[in-house]
Amino acid sequence: MIWSISWKNVWRNKIRSLVVVFAVMVGIISGVMIVAIMEGWVKQRLHDAIYNEVSHIQVHNTEYLKNEEIHLTVNDTTEMRRAIEALPGLKGWLKRTRMVAMVNTPWANTGVFVYGIDPEKEKQVTEIYKKIVPEGGEYLDKTKPGNILISDKTAEVLKLKQYIIKEEVMNQLKFENVPAIVLSRLDSLRDVRFRSPKEFREALKTELTKKELDSYGLKIIDKALDYRIRNKIQITITDVTGTPVQSTFRVCGIYKTTNGSFDQASVFVNSGELASLYDASTILTHEIAILLTDIENVDSVKGKLKGISVDNTVSTWKEMAPDAAMMNDYMIMYYIIFIGIVMFALAFGIINTMMMTILERTRELGMLMAIGMNRKRIFSMIMLETIFLTLVGAVAGMISGWILVEVLGNTGIHFSAWGEGFAAIGFAAIVYPVITPSFFVIITVMVILTAIISSIWPARKALKLNPIESLRTE
Amino acid sequence: MKVIDIKDVHKIYDETEIAVKAVDGVTLSFDEAEFAAIVGPSGSGKTTLLNLIGGLDMPTSGEIIIDGTNLSKLKSSQLIDFRLNNIGFVFQAYNLIPVLTAKENVEFIMNLQKWSRQERDERTFELLKAVGLSERANSRPPKMSGGQQQRVAVARALASRPKFVLADEPTANLDSKSATTLLEIMEKLNHGEKITFIFSTHDARVVKMAHRVITLEDGKVVSDDVRE
Repeated sequence: MIWSISWKNVWRNKIRSLVVVFAVMVGIISGVMIVAIMEGWVKQRLHDAIYNEVSHIQVHNTEYLKNEEIHLTVNDTTEMRRAIEALPGLKGWLKRTRMVAMVNTPWANTGVFVYGIDPEKEKQVTEIYKKIVPEGGEYLDKTKPGNILISDKTAEVLKLKQYIIKEEVMNQLKFENVPAIVLSRLDSLRDVRFRSPKEFREALKTELTKKELDSYGLKIIDKALDYRIRNKIQITITDVTGTPVQSTFRVCGIYKTTNGSFDQASVFVNSGELASLYDASTILTHEIAILLTDIENVDSVKGKLKGISVDNTVSTWKEMAPDAAMMNDYMIMYYIIFIGIVMFALAFGIINTMMMTILERTRELGMLMAIGMNRKRIFSMIMLETIFLTLVGAVAGMISGWILVEVLGNTGIHFSAWGEGFAAIGFAAIVYPVITPSFFVIITVMVILTAIISSIWPARKALKLNPIESLRTE
Repeated sequence: MKVIDIKDVHKIYDETEIAVKAVDGVTLSFDEAEFAAIVGPSGSGKTTLLNLIGGLDMPTSGEIIIDGTNLSKLKSSQLIDFRLNNIGFVFQAYNLIPVLTAKENVEFIMNLQKWSRQERDERTFELLKAVGLSERANSRPPKMSGGQQQRVAVARALASRPKFVLADEPTANLDSKSATTLLEIMEKLNHGEKITFIFSTHDARVVKMAHRVITLEDGKVVSDDVRE
């Protein structure tokens, strides 16, 4: 009966209750959206960290982790290989050569890690092959010698990324409905080569108005981008005798992951070709990368591998990408803090509404006390009213938020304007919001707690009423 | 059989500088199935006396004993339970719960007392029939006239078969016809249910129908007429 009367009481003043319901709904939608975006980013970062950068498990020579010298290879025993191949839930594994190198073009140079890989095996463990940019050439091929795969970021640093407004670019822009007036302004930049996006953007600023730049700038930059595929890059490494050696490779493809730092530091060549450069009789293994079918098994796998050789260090993805691990581990805490702040703000509105309700129903509450409704029941009635009021808004907010997340989870939310900034810290400029069912359980619990806490003050106010005085009120 | 025993009860309000004697040495008793009216001019102490009998207020001195229980000895929470189980209230302004139907309002106290559904249904049907509102069982108070609401209030007061019903100016807000109908119903229920009714009233129609009329002036009983 208390439940029924409380529910009915919520709808006595429909407009006032709906205002609170709406406020709670908006609060919950924003909470769901922000948490879904955060979760989307974390999941993307976690996926990219594992599938592009560190895999689930890596094995290195312990000394190599302190000092990346060519001779500090993994103690790659038969026992180690057998143990890896016998791992339950093994998706793929590979060996890599990993060396500090200097790469240069006639216009610039930079330090990188050059990875000697088997391109086909790499496809089983990483997704770099899926990250070749449009018009960015192709992935490494074992049958095509002398090739190097570099990132968009490295291409930019080595000035292999240029911007030219050619005739075909003008045609593409025309096809994409860029107004003739804008195209005519671009005429003065036609066939001029710009070697950095900054330089090109500055040139566009001088030719276009701010509004034109805001509307068409990204499109023009995108279409004018031209990678210098097949350009030569010189690599300098130290061979097994400690002597610097050089070789020239041609850029076969440009890749781009969401992690700018990783991209800038990583170039890939065929392992056999790298071996001939450092002049070893066999291909050196500095890194073994292992991908499992289930991320939950990493600790047990680490336990199985770490005892095989005292020279090796077995690291999990959590140790190699602590940023992603930390975000993943503390996500629930972030949820609770964020929703806690939203609910704290909403609590004031809820308390205010319930106080008004008590004030309006003073005589009725006096009557209920007079005819024998005890304090516990009155307290419960007011608490249930608050819970119902808040829960209605929360349920509406959770459903609306979930629908919004489902829609935006497919289309993605574009933060292209801040893309470079995100890439610098390993996040994608397009985020696909995701929400886990457990989050809704957390919201429900927090909403009920907020309602209970918010009801305490109004309920205490009601309990302090004197039945005789209350019955006299108009 | 004596249901209410009031012994030399005083109630003094001294919140202001001047102490007000609202009830001044009242000694009364009420038997089972009495139909009594407390009359007197405004400020004579009628409502205060009713509040004291109903356990809504505590006397400054004296004792009120209901069916052997001294109200002054009960704690606040015990008093609430005592009211629930022993006293029915009818208020001048009806005071029904607007979100509940007539049936649900009548059932309310039985619900608090945890009666079974079947018992509740039977009693509610019986009482709504007695007050002539069987047809309006599912109507909510805002859709009913003042007279109908007060009849629902009487049914609610009687629902749990209390020892007595206190009615504070029950006809004050009613038109003549509704007031007469209500009084007839209450008298009938007084006979049928053998429940004591005590009214505070200014209404001559109530006084005319009462079997006993107690007159208060300045908080004192000035007359106590029992009619045969």
